[in-house]
Amino acid sequence: MSANRREQLRRATETLCGFVVILVVWEYGVGFARMPEYILPVPSAIAIKFWQTLFIQAHHLSVTASTTLIGLAMALVIGVLLALAVIYVKPLKGIVLPVLAAFNSIPKIAIAPLFVIWFGLGVEPKVLLAFLLSLFPVFVNSVTGLGEIEHDVLDLARLAGGTQLRIFTKVRLMNAVPYITDAVKVAFPLALVGSIVGEFIGGNSGVGYLILSGQFNLDTPLVFACLMSITLFTSVVIGVVVVLERVLLQWRPSQRKR
Amino acid sequence: MTTKTAAVKVDGLTKSFETGAAVEDLSFGVRENEFVTLVGPSGCGKSTTLRMISGLVPPTQGKVYIRGKEVDRPIGDVGMVFQSPVLLPWRSTISNVLFMAEMRGKKAGEYRQRALDLIKLASLEGFEKRYPHELSGGMQQRVSICRALLLSPSLLLMDEPFGALDIMTREKMGFELQKIWSASKTTVLFVTHSITEAVLLSDSIIVMTARPGKLKAVINVDLPRPRDTKTLSDARFVELAAAVRDNIEAQWVE
Repeated sequence: MSANRREQLRRATETLCGFVVILVVWEYGVGFARMPEYILPVPSAIAIKFWQTLFIQAHHLSVTASTTLIGLAMALVIGVLLALAVIYVKPLKGIVLPVLAAFNSIPKIAIAPLFVIWFGLGVEPKVLLAFLLSLFPVFVNSVTGLGEIEHDVLDLARLAGGTQLRIFTKVRLMNAVPYITDAVKVAFPLALVGSIVGEFIGGNSGVGYLILSGQFNLDTPLVFACLMSITLFTSVVIGVVVVLERVLLQWRPSQRKR
Repeated sequence: MTTKTAAVKVDGLTKSFETGAAVEDLSFGVRENEFVTLVGPSGCGKSTTLRMISGLVPPTQGKVYIRGKEVDRPIGDVGMVFQSPVLLPWRSTISNVLFMAEMRGKKAGEYRQRALDLIKLASLEGFEKRYPHELSGGMQQRVSICRALLLSPSLLLMDEPFGALDIMTREKMGFELQKIWSASKTTVLFVTHSITEAVLLSDSIIVMTARPGKLKAVINVDLPRPRDTKTLSDARFVELAAAVRDNIEAQWVE
């Protein structure tokens, strides 16, 4: 246990050192190369800017975070429901899968302007983009996790007289958990892309909007400060997913503390 | 005991697939508490026969009776062990054993003591809370035997349960199974490729022909129980094993 701790500490130190080296090189390299601030601001300037705009950042990030998370939540609900439909109603598989696959081949970003025409400049097009971008990975992983159950397990359940409901809650759902947490890890950054692109193309709030206004004013430090906000948000969400995995997936070899 | 109903009666069982018949006109009976083994060349329909007896697969023709009752769908009175343990990876040993009770819609708590007794009988004490990936292949298979016995089925079907284990573990598992069987007193129908295993474990051996599987011979094993490693060098054991082998090899010439 203590050896394990030491190992963790060593790794954390290594990561930290890596960051420090990059920051130092960045801070002094920019000055050395005489690069103007509007091209590449130094880390200290970004940190100061972040601090100065803390409340504005927080406000816009909360907008982006909510559209992202709502879109992701919708993708989770609809994605899992669609997967269930495909698994339980066999003929649907031939319809839903090709339609979704065809739809997935359209770059959703390209149809974003349409959403502005249809839904205006409010939160709706942002949520919709976040939802559409994250739907496919959730759906695909849910189909695998809920559907691909070993035949022998289903036979055992049938022998014991297991009903579809019992098989669903005690076998399919449990089998799907790791697939769905994996899907969230892929779908969340996609949902974030959806929100930010949505903010780029219209509206007056969200981190995407703040980035654009930084760009118009050649306020490059502000753009970088926004990137910092986004990174913080992403880290928090991924952190939550990792903690959830630790709790839900204790049985997985990779999750066990040795 | 008024009437003597066979534990299992198989009557003219036939199963045809698009590729042809897998099992043809197979009839045999298994007595209560008997340990019967099906042996035969690969692909002779042994597994299909077990599945038909369990009710998981309907026969093309013929009937299966368990304790005099015709089987027309999966019935709860049958326990099944497959070649692979098929444990649920997110469930601990005890929880995997209790799976059958939960599937039946019973409270797991009611069966907890029974599960613990079985785990003890299968020499898995101390591993109740372990997850499948923490157990060896032999241990996993013993968990699956406990799971099959949880609901006290009158018939235990075992489809090459030790086929995926190494030879040393396999031999040990045979003796473990003998112990579990004699303590739980259920009827066992066992499928194996190993002649040694068949003779060592069975009261009676049913030899099947190559595909389509028909009845070739029934050999009664009159070796005293309990059998142990010494049985393997017993003259009668060698004789019986040779008889089984002759019946299987006779088909090579035909």
